[in-house]
Amino acid sequence: MVGRNSTYVAGVMPAAALLALFFVGPALWALYSSLTNLALVGIDAANPRFVGIDNYTRLLADPDFWTVIRNSVVFVVGSAVIGQFGLGLALALLIDHAEHRRWWLGTLAYGAVLLAWVNPTLIAGFLWVAMYDFFFGSLNHVFLSSLGASPVDWLGSFPMPAVIVANIWRGTAFTMIIFLGALKTIPPDIYEAARIDGANAWRRFWDHTLPSLRPIAALALLSITMSTFGTFIVIQTLTNGGPGINTEVIALYAFHTAFKSFSIGYGSAIAVVMLALNFAFAILYLRWSRARA
Amino acid sequence: MTTRAESRAARSTAAPRGASWVETIAAHLVFGVVVLFFLVPFLWLFTSAFDADAVAYIRVPAKPTLDNFVRIFTEHDFGRALVNSVFVAGSTMVLDVVAVSLAGYSLSRLDLRFKSWIMYAVLLLQTMPLSATMVPIYGLARALGLRNSYVGLILIHAAIELPFLIWLMKNFFDNVPRYLEEAAWLDGRSKLRALVEVVLPVARNGIGVVAGLSFLAAWAEVLMMIILIDSQDLKTVPLAFYETLRTQGGYTEVQYGLVAAMGVLYAVPVMAIFLATRRMMVRGLVASSRGL
Repeated sequence: MVGRNSTYVAGVMPAAALLALFFVGPALWALYSSLTNLALVGIDAANPRFVGIDNYTRLLADPDFWTVIRNSVVFVVGSAVIGQFGLGLALALLIDHAEHRRWWLGTLAYGAVLLAWVNPTLIAGFLWVAMYDFFFGSLNHVFLSSLGASPVDWLGSFPMPAVIVANIWRGTAFTMIIFLGALKTIPPDIYEAARIDGANAWRRFWDHTLPSLRPIAALALLSITMSTFGTFIVIQTLTNGGPGINTEVIALYAFHTAFKSFSIGYGSAIAVVMLALNFAFAILYLRWSRARA
Repeated sequence: MTTRAESRAARSTAAPRGASWVETIAAHLVFGVVVLFFLVPFLWLFTSAFDADAVAYIRVPAKPTLDNFVRIFTEHDFGRALVNSVFVAGSTMVLDVVAVSLAGYSLSRLDLRFKSWIMYAVLLLQTMPLSATMVPIYGLARALGLRNSYVGLILIHAAIELPFLIWLMKNFFDNVPRYLEEAAWLDGRSKLRALVEVVLPVARNGIGVVAGLSFLAAWAEVLMMIILIDSQDLKTVPLAFYETLRTQGGYTEVQYGLVAAMGVLYAVPVMAIFLATRRMMVRGLVASSRGL
């Protein structure tokens, strides 16, 4: 058994080494350093002390941490669940329908959504910085002023909706592509049979289209929830967590704690919480995808 | 629950009959808004890059010029950043194609009772957010001397996309019939030669997706660049863009024209490669999610 497999085990090794070094290693290191008072500079950088679960008790008593958790939940619900998932599903249905009708504007919409997604995230953040700029941004200077409305301080007064919209813009394509793929796998004779039975379009949609999308929908939702939970660049470019800590999500908080306050130990504890929450989502994901197989 | 008008409109959808004019107009209005929402921000990028005094809002360039593109090379050493980015992304691509071909094929052919658990573990790694491990990766890279080094950049970027790519290629190889390589073994080829000469040509679409995605991901990635590079010599395209935006945004007026010109050269290669190969890319993506 081992003899027959040994070549294949060797083949896995280069990839396994990279994964061990840059995935497993850092996760274990975060777990270890979260139990110390390791710092980026100073005495604690050279000689970190073991402090047990001090970092975690400090985290639970930290009011900023709870604000950050609430921000993360709002951001994930707004940009992933409602935005990317809802809009992605709606767009997939519309574009699929447009293909049957041979409307070219549907193809253009598909391309536009895709373009925002393949565009580097850093550029996405920057494009929206320019859109939202108070004095000269396109939203105020071109759009609102042509309506005769007074300018709005988008990033100051509505920071969370602003970053949510930017992230919806960037990430909707993923769910749209997944749903478009799933729609094409629904056999047309199901609709044919339903039509012969006299079911109207709404009935066919509710009874056939939606149920066949449900398994892939659950996986897509979990998948974008996980990736949105780790969002960093879009928010960092737009608001860097501000104003105050109004848009500080968990990834930014871990980063700021480690590199601005220089407390690596405490920053690692935040990272471990992040990894643990993600792990829970991932387990759920695996269970659902296995149930599907 | 629907009104009569709604159900009448709805009955005509998805039916072979022609669309009513209400439906046609409503659908085109929606598509129009969608196209505007997703394209307008890009409009600004492309007009500003060619505008001698670019501003934050969208306008037809007052003085159309290529000067911004000249200045980023003469004043901001953008050529160096381009060379670094191409080198790092290209090396990452080569390393990923080799590692993923070997690992994907081996995992496909391994005969182990707990193999599915290995695949689940790979999937689990894929869901780990980079933003959670960036602090440990920073510490690790510093300890191993991988900061400010091409080797460090290439290894880390090769690792980032590895779980997804392994999953993708394993599914590809699962669909390559085993009698192909078994015939090659009978001809006296080693397993490695059989893989390279017989199996890989059959799986070339998958390899193409792996090569494309690993190059694009390494080209666009910025988080690891920020924490791993301080040296100007190793500056890559995203870092040059980030610096021009940050430092000038912080202390002087933002030079939108320069930032936009860099942005165009940063984004256009990604868009061009992706759009040219979009069918393959989208199919690879959908196939990988269906294989879950």
